Amino acid sequence: MEALNIQFAPGTGTEQEWNEAYARLSDYFRSYRLHNRIRRTQLILETLRKAADAHAKDPSRKPTDHAIEQARLMLCHWLGRIYKDMQMTPAQLEASGRLGFHLSGGPDKWPHFFLDEQNPPEEMAEAMRIAVRTSGPRMQVSKMTPRDIDLGLTNVAEDTFDRFGKYPYARYALLLLLVVLVLGYVYKLLK
Amino acid sequence: MSPPAVPTASHHGPLPGMPPRNVARMRRATFFVLVLLGTILGTWLLAVFLSGNGWRWSEIGLMLVFVPLFYQLNAGFWTALIGVWLQNRPMDDPIDLWSTLTPEDDGAPLTANIAIIIPVYNEDVTRVWEGLRSCYLSLEKTGQLQHFDFFVLSDSDDTNRWIEEEVAWLELCRQLGAFGRIFYRKRRKPINRKSGNVSDFCRRWGKRFRYMIVFDADSLMSGALMVAMTRIMEKNPGLGILQTFPKQIASETLLGRLMQFAQALYGPAFMAGINYWQGGESNFWGHNAIIRLEPFIQHCALPPLPATVPFGGHILSHDFVEAALMRKAGYAVRLLPSTRGSYEEGPPSLIDMLKRDRRWCQGNMQHFWLLFAKGWHPMSRLNFAHGVLSYVSSPLWFFFLVFSTILAATPGSGIRDQREQIALAGQLLLWLTVILIFLPKVVILTDEMLTGRLFKPLRLRLLAFISSMLDTFIFSLMAPVMMWFHSRFVMKIILGQGVRWVNQRRKAGGVDWQEIILTFGGVTLLGVIWSVIAFFISHQFLLWISPILVSLLLAIPMAILLSSTQSGRRFGLFLTPEELEPPTVLGEMENNLAEVKGRLQLPPEIEKSYGLMQVCLDPYVNGLHVSLLRRRRYTELSREYLDEIARRFIKQGPQALKPREINAIINDTETVIHLHYRLWSSAENELAPFWSLAIKQYNIAATNPFTHLLAQKGHQMLEMPMEK
Repeated sequence: MEALNIQFAPGTGTEQEWNEAYARLSDYFRSYRLHNRIRRTQLILETLRKAADAHAKDPSRKPTDHAIEQARLMLCHWLGRIYKDMQMTPAQLEASGRLGFHLSGGPDKWPHFFLDEQNPPEEMAEAMRIAVRTSGPRMQVSKMTPRDIDLGLTNVAEDTFDRFGKYPYARYALLLLLVVLVLGYVYKLLK
Repeated sequence: MSPPAVPTASHHGPLPGMPPRNVARMRRATFFVLVLLGTILGTWLLAVFLSGNGWRWSEIGLMLVFVPLFYQLNAGFWTALIGVWLQNRPMDDPIDLWSTLTPEDDGAPLTANIAIIIPVYNEDVTRVWEGLRSCYLSLEKTGQLQHFDFFVLSDSDDTNRWIEEEVAWLELCRQLGAFGRIFYRKRRKPINRKSGNVSDFCRRWGKRFRYMIVFDADSLMSGALMVAMTRIMEKNPGLGILQTFPKQIASETLLGRLMQFAQALYGPAFMAGINYWQGGESNFWGHNAIIRLEPFIQHCALPPLPATVPFGGHILSHDFVEAALMRKAGYAVRLLPSTRGSYEEGPPSLIDMLKRDRRWCQGNMQHFWLLFAKGWHPMSRLNFAHGVLSYVSSPLWFFFLVFSTILAATPGSGIRDQREQIALAGQLLLWLTVILIFLPKVVILTDEMLTGRLFKPLRLRLLAFISSMLDTFIFSLMAPVMMWFHSRFVMKIILGQGVRWVNQRRKAGGVDWQEIILTFGGVTLLGVIWSVIAFFISHQFLLWISPILVSLLLAIPMAILLSSTQSGRRFGLFLTPEELEPPTVLGEMENNLAEVKGRLQLPPEIEKSYGLMQVCLDPYVNGLHVSLLRRRRYTELSREYLDEIARRFIKQGPQALKPREINAIINDTETVIHLHYRLWSSAENELAPFWSLAIKQYNIAATNPFTHLLAQKGHQMLEMPMEK
């Protein structure tokens, strides 16, 4: 970690634009939960210097734009070094890498080494690597296929008759009752 | 640990857990003989009463609607009375599942893996995850946590909720050191709603677990009960589903407190009664239950119903059908009588209750298809019929009142007939009905006064007595209003109007006078018209129907009163044991919820889109979201389209975008990463006022962004990495 050098004199851009870039970078690094103000100031100045160089080459873009782009590049390089042995796409590196710093407790434990490419402690690097390894139980896919429910009214009738078929006496009694009823009705008509 | 082979239900004789056939038959014979005798008696009395002047069409109509209504009254009456008898019986119930546990089981290690699943849909994220935390910690205290895995299965389509769920998952896992034990899964397309969500879990992970405990978003269960339920399932291989009795908790409004009091006082007796006659063919209520996964996966997948919504299509009330399918497969579905350890929350207002009932109504009406399906156990068929009847009874009651009005308005009608025998039949029927409605409550209340089952101190028993009188009065006032709305729901469903899937409001949100007046204005008008008609018919009829009319006329003030947080608690009314001595699992959750509620609030427009703001601005939340998205491909939309939406999102703010547009950009990995940098690198004049404010406020509001969602105090941060 280099000593704090507060010299900053950009050759391009207005003071107001650089002030805005400073404020934005400050908010941006705070969003990383870096509560160590000295480290934040170091990072802001380091990033602004790189942004000033970039702005000199391409003044069409605003200093704030350059500043955040430089912060992103610094982050990508830093994460690339930490995760160099892991097969990660650039998108995974950025997303999971950031998350790894958070999950390993980096903002509280190693704030001074955030974006420090030269001397990342091995303990921090290892904690960050472990944190991004996959979680979750392995899927064990099983089939859950809906079976048709036979909804027909006729089936109930069939069911009833099937069940009825098991009780011959009841079946015959019902038949007899029907015959008696029909005969009784005929008798009433003829009477 | 791989699950051992589950014994099949084709075993000779019932498997442990399934009540013996002779016991089940005897109990049902007793219950249904009593119910049918009561129904026949009532029907006969009404027939005598109406037949005085011969039979007219309106009298026949009255008889037709009376029979199912009186059957329902009788079923409730005998269920409660049998329940009270069982509660006071000196000997243990021979089929009691608790008796299968022995003292040696206490502390013995479990031999099964259990998944606790929590399907969510746009729910209050803090409530869901703080509830999960309490259950997790409660299980930890039992020493059996290693056998349980938690799955929050999200179908949320509100982007804010979705992001908040992801953040809550990460933070809770971090605080508890629970990576590899608590999992979060979000479906992109919520196919088949809740049952589809559960089926998806079963297909992906079901094989890894022998049991799953299903939670609702507002469920809460103690670790001790969950461990006991697992042991009961292990000892009773014939059990397919074991349903607990979830007690309502945490209500703040008068309606909520009334319902939780009534449930605490009368619920256990009704549960005991239902358990008596339903036996091994009970119902599954969709949550706070443990399910044997292998037969569930094999037999309980739901096919769509024929025809289209609202009657057909996807099965809405899946729980009853799953219970019937499980029973059809030969496994018992049982209720576990329990008074502690299983909890849920209820709707805070009458309108919320009606919204919930509308969904339930459609779900139950769909079961009409299944009444005649092949292969059900007769009790499963009866359960479907009772479900349908629970809503159809409202229009039946309404028609009963309409027919009564017509009869009263017709000269020489039975109501005016004063012949001795007919008048006696009428009076007997009136008293029989009053007894059927009120005697169960009187018996249960007397039981409480004598035994102190709920409260030991005499003062609390007396307060319970007064509360019971008041709740009877208020529920009597509510009933005709509910009848009117349920009748409308049934009619709308028959006419083909389905319901949308909306999330439930579970907490008091203040009284919305306009909504109440608009909702209940029609009921009041109906009351006015009916009163005028009754006045002109006769004073005697007006007096007879006045309880109904008063209820309809007072619908608006009643709805306002019920939604109010002036719930009588300071007078000691409607108290429940959980309010007086909150169980640990509940107390812990309530403390944490209070901490989150007391946090510093951001401006309302930012609070409303907090999740969206976090995923765009916070480097860790952005990283988390992208990490969880990373396996997905989103190729349906062109890059130009996504860039165009992203530009508007930055320039005009989230409120300028449609939900589907927000959904499109938040589902695309590349866009989410770019949005993060584009927002931070945009100059002030390039940003929507929302983003300018958000960038300034975000870091000030919370040094830790997770205080917004989860409690931080007293919870040690375990920076434990994700498991390999």
